[in-house]
Amino acid sequence: MKILTLASRNVYRNWHRTLVTTLAMAFACFIMILFAALMEGMVQGSEYQVVSMNMGDIQIHAEGYRDDPDLYTRIDDADGLVASLEQQGFHAAPRIYGFGLAAANLASAGVHLRGIDLGHEMDVTQLYKHLGKGEWLEASDEHGVVLGKKLAGTLGIDLGDELVFVGQSADGFMANDLFTVRGVLKSVSDGIDRTGMFMTMPALRELMAVPDGAHEIVVLRPDRASELAGATAQVEAVALGYETKNWKQLMPVIARMLETADVQTMIMLVITYIAVATVILNAMLMSVFERIHEFGIMKAIGVSPWQIVSLIYAETIIQTVVASLLALLTGWWVADYYAQNGIDMSSMAGSISYGGIAFDPVWYAYVTPEALLTPIVFLFIIVALAVIYPAVKAAVIRPVQAIYFR
Amino acid sequence: MNVNRLAWRNLWRRKRRTLITAFSIGFGVMLSVTFTGSGDYTYTNMIDTGASMGMGHVTVQPKGYDLKPTLDKRLQQTDALRQKLLVMPEVTDATVRLTGQAMFASANKSVGGAFIAIDPANESAANNLLLRSLVEGEVFPGSNGRGIVIGSKLATKLHLRIGKKIVYTTTDVTGEIVSDIARVSGIFTTGVSMIDGGLALLPIRSVQKTLGYTHDEATLIAVMIKDQRHAELVRDQIISAETGMPGMKGAAVLSWKQSQPDLAGVIAMDKSMNYISQFLVGLLIAAGILNTMLMSVLERTREFGVMMAVGMAPRTLFRLVMVESFWLALVGLVLGIIITAPWYYYLYNTGIDFSGSFGEDFSYGGVLVDPVFKARLFRESITAILAGVFTLAICAGAYPAWRAGRIPPVDSLKTI
Repeated sequence: MKILTLASRNVYRNWHRTLVTTLAMAFACFIMILFAALMEGMVQGSEYQVVSMNMGDIQIHAEGYRDDPDLYTRIDDADGLVASLEQQGFHAAPRIYGFGLAAANLASAGVHLRGIDLGHEMDVTQLYKHLGKGEWLEASDEHGVVLGKKLAGTLGIDLGDELVFVGQSADGFMANDLFTVRGVLKSVSDGIDRTGMFMTMPALRELMAVPDGAHEIVVLRPDRASELAGATAQVEAVALGYETKNWKQLMPVIARMLETADVQTMIMLVITYIAVATVILNAMLMSVFERIHEFGIMKAIGVSPWQIVSLIYAETIIQTVVASLLALLTGWWVADYYAQNGIDMSSMAGSISYGGIAFDPVWYAYVTPEALLTPIVFLFIIVALAVIYPAVKAAVIRPVQAIYFR
Repeated sequence: MNVNRLAWRNLWRRKRRTLITAFSIGFGVMLSVTFTGSGDYTYTNMIDTGASMGMGHVTVQPKGYDLKPTLDKRLQQTDALRQKLLVMPEVTDATVRLTGQAMFASANKSVGGAFIAIDPANESAANNLLLRSLVEGEVFPGSNGRGIVIGSKLATKLHLRIGKKIVYTTTDVTGEIVSDIARVSGIFTTGVSMIDGGLALLPIRSVQKTLGYTHDEATLIAVMIKDQRHAELVRDQIISAETGMPGMKGAAVLSWKQSQPDLAGVIAMDKSMNYISQFLVGLLIAAGILNTMLMSVLERTREFGVMMAVGMAPRTLFRLVMVESFWLALVGLVLGIIITAPWYYYLYNTGIDFSGSFGEDFSYGGVLVDPVFKARLFRESITAILAGVFTLAICAGAYPAWRAGRIPPVDSLKTI
């Protein structure tokens, strides 16, 4: 028996129903492909935002600095450490930090000073490209600073304006100096937006009287595809006696959110596909019941129950293949469009922050093979499950009763 | 002829098909109730929490303070204004506060942050999240004196315990840098690290003195209202009712959406995602209804032909099929209510606790989110869900009904 020929003719016989069923499947599958690509894009985008803006992959601190950011808790041989990490192929940059009060005009704000080693930092983070206005630090401009977005708002200052810094330096004296705003960053994270004040490392060393050492070394692994845990262990071996943590350990909330993005996609998948499953179940059930008479005759002339089951499965699979091809093409096309152009959320949400990290308001999709294929694979699985009942129903009917059905 | 009864009987000629379609509608209702309900609950919760973080649902503050919070801008005659606001119908609470940026220093360290100066007589756990989150000690007794309540992370950073001294430095009304000393009387932990690590409560009279403010001057009046959805309304009422007040000169009235744009942003985004996904699932369910009704019309071609031959108007046939869709939607709805009721009851009272899988600092738009997944439906949302179900069913039934009305009687009698 030519099951495939028979099945395709059966599918065509009631093209109304086939059309509606196939379109419903294709639509659901299309939505899921787009959804999966958007979720993947969110994961990639967030990781970029976290890692490339500020965190790096791995950070080294002196023991206890993270709990209690003390000016004196430093990594002493920072330069040696950076050099030996770079020898191993990592990109690394030292940073020093300080706290104090910045005042301009009539306003004041607590600030977190961030001393940046310009030579190394640009290999590690992309912050220098993330300016809202003005320009990034310049080694020759010792009194130029770059401010976080909200900090600039709080102080009410713009490019070229001056601000006074007051704080306590490492030698116990008052640290006090005048700075000029060179640039203002776009949204990065709660902390940087509200309190971040970036300056060159030599300037901060002089201001806070910290002649050597660093508070933090940020490390970027050379190969983005390599295992993060392995790289962490490698860095840990170099930085003996210091605390080495990767960004997933430093930002557990974000890491967990990104890990649960898959779960979110799955939940959405299950919900959508339950709705699709009822459509298919109903369509195939109807198609079986209106052909009971026909199946009776087929069985009477010697068609086995298994052949009937395969016939019904063949009919369903033909529709599913057409639907998934349609979904793949349209889904890929639209997802690819959003991968290049992004969805601009800024009109809807001025700024989006989650767990303290600000996210880019333009949301890009990211097309991966998984995003394209998972919805299709699941479509086949759910369809196969939904058709069990109609198929079995058709296979086990008694020929005589079926012929006299109705 | 009784179209209703005919439609009802037609529906049950194919029990299995009707029940499966009804189930898919019921599933849609359940989904919609879960998502809309959790949205209604979570957003209200976040907005109320956000409001209790200092700004209130509606904020009265000096013009331009939200863009550039400098302490030379200030509200005048705040106490009189507060009394006026308190008697407004929707308003549950109004508190005068003074906020500003400051640097906090202990014996060996300093950290930047912000302060909210309050009068403890007007503050309570209900209108102040920080007081609700006190973990150690208590709030300072009066609006004078040298008490301070600080966040737990700030306390750790500065090595402070209850009773220890802390110096805060800020700029006063003329822009001069001023500082004063205070003694820690309480410590709070909200779970949002930005707040725990950089915010402090101070007694308002002492701060006014330090800054050179008079007793009647402050930087904001936080207004709490009964229902967060009326924030815009109350804002407009305040603007129109109080413009004549001398205290309102140079003051701006903002709703929480304006004073907390981060929060408004994430809520707007989450809401639209939520509704879009519900709409998509709705479309799929509508496709199921369309298929069922279309099949049921096509398989009855002959029957409709006979009915028309014996004198039934095409319009009546159209109505018949539409009424069938309506009954189908109703059955689906009843089924939906039956399966949703226990689930909703559970979500309403107990909820699903996700705190294990979120960890600490689960903030969204700068506001801590309740890790328990609960649902509370607004009355409008119930109406919207009901309207949605019937609209989808009627739309999906329209094409099959139109086909039923167009069957030429003679041709259809010839088909088998």
